[in-house]
Formats: sequence, C-alpha cells, structure tokens
Amino acid sequence: MEARTAANPGAKPRELSLDTIDIVSPEHYEQNGYPHAEWAYLRKHKPVFHVEHPRTDPFWAITKAADIMEISKQPRLWLNGPRLAVFVLAPGEEALPPEALPLKHLLNMDPPEHGEYRRLLSTYFTPRSVRALEPEVTRITTEVLNDLMGRTECDFVTEISARVPVAVIAEMLGVPRPDWPRMFRWTNEIIGGGDPEFQRGENPTETFAQARMEVFEYFTNMVEERRKHPTNDVTSILANAKINGAPMPTLELLSYLLVLVVAGNETTRNATTGGLLAMIENPDQFERLKADPGMIKSAVEEIARWTSPVIQFARTATQDTVVRGQKIRAGESVCLFYPSANRDEDVFDEPFKFDIGRNPNPHLAFGIGEHFCLGSNLARLELEVIFRELAKRLESAELAGPISRLRSSFVGGIKHMPIRYKLSPARN
Amino acid sequence: MKIEIDLKLCEGNERCVAAAPEVFEVRDDQAHLRIENPPDSLIEKVKLAVRMCPRQAISLREK
Ligand code: HEM
Ligand code: SF4
Repeated sequence: MEARTAANPGAKPRELSLDTIDIVSPEHYEQNGYPHAEWAYLRKHKPVFHVEHPRTDPFWAITKAADIMEISKQPRLWLNGPRLAVFVLAPGEEALPPEALPLKHLLNMDPPEHGEYRRLLSTYFTPRSVRALEPEVTRITTEVLNDLMGRTECDFVTEISARVPVAVIAEMLGVPRPDWPRMFRWTNEIIGGGDPEFQRGENPTETFAQARMEVFEYFTNMVEERRKHPTNDVTSILANAKINGAPMPTLELLSYLLVLVVAGNETTRNATTGGLLAMIENPDQFERLKADPGMIKSAVEEIARWTSPVIQFARTATQDTVVRGQKIRAGESVCLFYPSANRDEDVFDEPFKFDIGRNPNPHLAFGIGEHFCLGSNLARLELEVIFRELAKRLESAELAGPISRLRSSFVGGIKHMPIRYKLSPARN
Repeated sequence: MKIEIDLKLCEGNERCVAAAPEVFEVRDDQAHLRIENPPDSLIEKVKLAVRMCPRQAISLREK
C-alpha cells in the first residue's frame, strides 16, 4: 500500500467512512498534512462527493484527474467568478460579503474577459521568455545557498525555499531590493492568514484585508511612477496596458499585481521544501539526480506532482449538468482537489512512489485549461535551478527536528523544516 | 490521423513536446509539427499530448 512517510502522513491507516471524512478543515491539514488516505478512499468509493462543513458553503469534492480535466476545459459551463476556492472560516469568524474586499484578477475572471487580461502577459511567461531569467535565478539561488556556508543546521524553509521565489518575482515586477521583505510578509499574510503565525488583527479576514490594502498602496505608487517613466518590467507593462483601447481599470490593475506577488511564492516555496523532504526520505532518488543531472526536468515534474502545492480551486455550474453520473445543479459548486488527481491510480503507475524518472507524467499540479498556471514555466525554471544547485552542492541533509505545517486547506505548506546538512562551496 | 494546432490558443508551454518530442517542437513560442502524419507507433504519445496541452490547442482528426 501507500508508503507511510512524512510527505504522506495522510497515508496512516485510519478507519474511514463517508460520514466522518474531513478534507476541508485547515486544522486537519496543519496536524496531519495532506489527507491522501481520505482522497484515495473517495477516488475509490465516492469520486464526486457532497461535502457539508459548518465553516464553509456546501460543495462537491472532485477527486479524479479525468473529472478535473473535463470540468477545467469547459470554462463557460464552469465559472471561476462566483466561488474561487473553498475557503474555510476560523471558528467563530463571520463571513464578509465579497463586495467588502473586492479583487478582480485572472483567477476569478471568466471568458471572454479572462482571455483579454491573460493575453497581456502570456508572452512574458513562455519557456523562452523565462529562460532568459536563468542567469538571474542562478545568481539568486547561489547567493541564498552561500549564506548557509560555515554552518551545519538551518530552517530550510525560511532560509532557502522561501527566499528564491520572492526574489525572482520581485525582480520581474521591478520591486527594489529593500522592499523584498515586505513583499515576503504580504504573501505569507494573504495566503497563510488563517495560520496564527502569520495572523495580524483579529482573524484571517482582517489579516487579509490589511495586507491587501498595503499591497494596493504600494503598487499604486509604483504604477504612477511607471506611467511617467516606463521601464521594461512587468509592472510597467501592466501600468501602460490597454484593455479595449482604454487603460486597465484600477481595481483590475492592482489585483493583477497582487496575484502575481502571491501566486508564485507560497507555491514554489512549498514545492521546493516538499521536494527536498522527498529527497531526504528517498535518498536513492537524490543519488540518481546527482549521478545524472540530465534528469533535472523529469525530477522537477515529479516534485510538482508529488508536492502539489495548490490543494484546490472551485468552479460553479452555470446550468444543470452531470459529472461521472452525478447530477449537479446550476449554481452549485465543485472543488477540484489537485493533489488527489496527482495520486490517481487510473493515471499513474504506483502513484505513491516518488520517482524522478517518471515518464510520462501528466500531473495537474498547475491545473489545466483556461486558467492553467500562468507562471508554470517560471516555477519550473526556479525548481530546476534550485535542485540543480542542491544536487551539486548538498553533500548530505537530514531532518534536525519536527516540521511544522501551515493551517490551510487551500495552499499546502511546510512553514518550518529544520535540517542538518553539509554543503560544499559554489563551483564555477 | 491528422494533427492540427490552433496557434491562437497555443501559449508555447511545451507540454506537447514533453509528451511527444518526435512530433512536436516549439519555435518562437509556438508549437509546430515536426511530422504531419505520425506513424501508428506514435499515436498514443500524440493522444497524451492532446490531453496534456493546457490550452486545448491540439486536435486530432481521423483522415
Ligand atoms: C510550484 C509552483 C506553482 C504551482 C503548484 C501553481 C499552481 C497553480 C494552479 C493550480 C493554478 C490554477 C490552475 C487552474 O485553475 O487550472 C494556478 C494559476 C495561476 N498561477 Fe500558478 N502555480 C505555481 C507557481 C506560479 C508562479 C511562479 C506564478 C508567477 C507569476 C504563478 C502565477 C499564476 C497565475 C497568475 C495564475 C492564474 C492564471 C489564470 O487564472 O489564468 N504561479 N497556479
Ligand atoms: S502544449 Fe499546447 S499550448 Fe503548449 S506548446 Fe504545445 S500546443 Fe502550445
């Protein structure tokens, strides 16, 4: 059966039943990691499963890869706008109406508007465009690793995996270096506001509201600046972009920038951390990569599949429809569980095996269809550089204490991962 | 089997190349066919490319 590893804590044998299964509570993810045993059970017994939970609206849990693909590829039948993901309130927290904190960005837009906004930046995120950033990503990664020289223990998350993605996106947006720590804090608060460690104010919503306001203020100034003096960074491109012949409306512009700041940080960070954890737990795979650096591309795909940092997004039906024989009514929502698709027995041989040579690897870590991750090539490049450098320089690594997980059922995260390591100097 | 790529949809993500390098290549950020009529031995890989293309830019037609 499933390997019982730290990366797969959900694989603990547990009595499961449809009445008691919990794939929603953020606390469950914090304590046990991804509920892989629960998802496996649902894939087998109830792949389209109606979930009711006291702290969120009801939804249908979709756990099979084929169903997620079918739904994602029909963006006019299944909308993103009405419900972006299944967000769960903190105990005792009151839900706010969506108008209270408006955001309008790629992820919650639908066709045809969505395509117009996506086209503005898609050419900046193709493999070729992103490839041009490789020297910069390598420089940032080398710098981050060099800071670990002369020591034997560190928190891999805060000192390595969190630092690279924020630096890369900050560079792309043209955010000056002294402001990087602020960007870092905002992403933590916007994605991880449900976790006490990142909470400011009374509850997750207040934390989010505060961070959102600060991001908006920050970029309002930058946009003004870039309109007066355009440069070639992404902020400048958006600040001066036209939608239907007119400048982009302010809410759309600031939301676009906010999503760029947050979408690639927590996610790439967790792929990196989870990737190293998988290497520590499967030392033969790390040895394989060290012996054959040509495996880096397939290793990165496997890390994306294995870690699946985005847990879920939702879609809402515009008309009555059927998924795998289950009737779903107009207005009802479905929740697409990407990590479950990435362990789907119908798609992958030995899905619970971490195999850096896996081929083919049609995983859904970056989603599929209309909203397919805009930054996937950037994320792949970052992971390639980080694991290429780690394979070259990390002579040994082991856990030096317990890992702690993010309290979130939206983006999965390891907050801290103490490691004991031996690192060799950079070679040129 | 005839393969068509809708270049208006293609974003050059290269997932097709990952699935079937014998058949697809990406030049100037757009996918192109290396061979127009792939042999039967490659059909499975082409079908995988169709499934993996995040933009649904590839279609297959029986000839
Ligand atoms: C390992 C890292 C990452 C993972 C696992 C990931 C995952 C995802 C997923 C699952 C989606 C939704 C796809 C769907 O609905 O089908 C998405 C969308 C998106 N991602 Fe990523 N992402 C990552 C890194 C990045 C990076 C580095 C950026 C940088 C800009 C980024 C920007 C975006 C944007 C803008 C969208 C919205 C696209 C749209 O709605 O059209 N992501 N990502
Ligand atoms: S996978 Fe699809 S979008 Fe990507 S290059 Fe190939 S055809 Fe174009």
